[in-house]
Amino acid sequence: MKKVAFKTLGCRLNQYETDAIASQFQDNDFQLVPFDKEADVYVINSCTVTHQSDHKSRNFINQANRKNPNSILVVTGCMANNAKNELESREEINYVVENDRKSSVFSLVEAHYKGEILHPSKLNTDLFSYGSTEKGFHTRSMVKIQDGCDNFCTFCIIPSVRGRAVSRPIQDILDNVRDVISNGAKEVVLTGVNIGRYEFENYKFDDIVEQILELEGDFRLRISSIEPDGFGDKFLGLLNHPKMTPHLHLCLQSGSDPVLLQMRRMYTIKRFKEIVDRVRSVRSDFNITTDVIIGFPGESDQDFDATCNIIKELQFGHVHAFKYSIRKGTRAERMTEQVDEKIKTKRSELLRGISDQVKKQYRTEFIGKEQIVLVEKTNGKIAKGYGEHYIPVEFSGEELKKNHFYKVKIKSMTAEDEPVLTGEQMI
Amino acid sequence: MRSHKVIEIRNLTPSTYIIRMEKNDFTFKTGQYITLGFSGSIDRREYSIYSSENDEHLEVLIKEVENGLVSKKLKRCKPGDKLDIDGPFGHFSLQNDEINKKKFLFIATGTGISPIHSFIATHPEMDYRLLHGVRKEEEAYERDSYENGNYILCTSREKTGDFHGRVTEYLKQNPVSSDTVCYLCGNCHMIYEAYDILEKQGVQLGPIHTEVYF
Repeated sequence: MKKVAFKTLGCRLNQYETDAIASQFQDNDFQLVPFDKEADVYVINSCTVTHQSDHKSRNFINQANRKNPNSILVVTGCMANNAKNELESREEINYVVENDRKSSVFSLVEAHYKGEILHPSKLNTDLFSYGSTEKGFHTRSMVKIQDGCDNFCTFCIIPSVRGRAVSRPIQDILDNVRDVISNGAKEVVLTGVNIGRYEFENYKFDDIVEQILELEGDFRLRISSIEPDGFGDKFLGLLNHPKMTPHLHLCLQSGSDPVLLQMRRMYTIKRFKEIVDRVRSVRSDFNITTDVIIGFPGESDQDFDATCNIIKELQFGHVHAFKYSIRKGTRAERMTEQVDEKIKTKRSELLRGISDQVKKQYRTEFIGKEQIVLVEKTNGKIAKGYGEHYIPVEFSGEELKKNHFYKVKIKSMTAEDEPVLTGEQMI
Repeated sequence: MRSHKVIEIRNLTPSTYIIRMEKNDFTFKTGQYITLGFSGSIDRREYSIYSSENDEHLEVLIKEVENGLVSKKLKRCKPGDKLDIDGPFGHFSLQNDEINKKKFLFIATGTGISPIHSFIATHPEMDYRLLHGVRKEEEAYERDSYENGNYILCTSREKTGDFHGRVTEYLKQNPVSSDTVCYLCGNCHMIYEAYDILEKQGVQLGPIHTEVYF
């Protein structure tokens, strides 16, 4: 049996796409092995959102080549679009597959073993032709509803590497969700690059959410990352549906209006706060997580302080902060007031301290309360998984099973940087 | 990416010009922008569309940037040259249900007037006022396109405009009624300041009604 190993960098959409490709390999008698083990095929699903992502992708290419220089090494994902020439010139990489052809990675490898050398440019370019993810890496079943982005934020390379916004036909999405539920999925996660801008015929994002929530079955729905400008009152009205999980990853990027304008974000801090207030009026403990860019060109100490203050004020459940890095071809590349790297590092440390503290405060509130946990790992007596708020929970119980929901009484919280709620199964 | 033939260059000031191109089958929503560059070149820049949705040609208004790469090259292009267009992009658009019902205030600085020109050229029947902030009168790009009395030129460096000072100063002195629909396009500082002033005057600004020019 041939062995295949995957490494995924970056966003949830990449995770979904890796899951789908991995399932296809498993369905065709490949054994999935960890990336640090020797494999016949290595697939690196890369990211290029920052310099650091490029650096990591290059390291994993080297690592795969060191483990087995005779393996088939496939690099796909956003770096494959953004640095195609560089990657194609590296002899150790067999195939560089751009995003729009990613769903055909298995066909490429299969053809390779049959002695047919396919050029990736000949592969199918359907953005939504991924199969099921039931055998992938995650208990949660991700469903892709959209790809690409038309927002053209000044810092962002994604529209260049993922292309223009494209929405998947609504019927395909509903069929996909029904399919994963009938295969046992208990949690469906909607993914895409900018899912709030979903638009197919007359259907918008809130229509697709409403229709999924109306489907029968024992499952819950999670919205992944969403932009604050892409949804309206109807969506907010759906947040108290029993199948909807109380968690949104709402991208802030900066707490300063002048910086948001320079980023070409389409909301103000006031509007962002209004959205958070509306969401928390549905459920006061709603988990709102976010992304923040540190050191965007022109970010002053005052702008940075505004970001720190809004993190404290809005009590984000988690802040994914990263230092701004120039992406070639973006508008911000040509901005003159680039922030010194040392200042960015100092601000990063400060912000991390604040967000860790806020995260702990937020999670502490769950002690003494109940969570419905979907188990991802268990030995039968101890289980790990995520509650409905998307907070990690570890609990004890009897005859615990993977991919089952359990009601858990939260007793305490671990003291790590990424605190885990701990508790006991409620009978 | 589509290739469009240049029809003419219209110089408005020593540094500002309009490129008129063949429209071919290109369609857009007024207020949107395109990226533009010479065919085959990787250097591209974003420009809001200046012409109307209904015009038979496509126009962009460009300010030559000192030490700029693309705006300088584009200024030298000639009729018959081919330019590559990508787009249209952006969400800076009028709401269809408001166009004939509401009164509008458009505030622009410099070449930020480009999408506003497109709005008005596409919907000339709109009830609007346009505040245009520039340094000198010569930057009142094609002011004859706007109906008399609807265009208010604010000049900050000379007293030749309808108002001497910045658009934000004009706004403070001439409050806007709260039922006005406002669209802001231009430099970041103007938008930030004007947004604040309008909000204090009771205007509800939709988050998509701003477009930053750099």
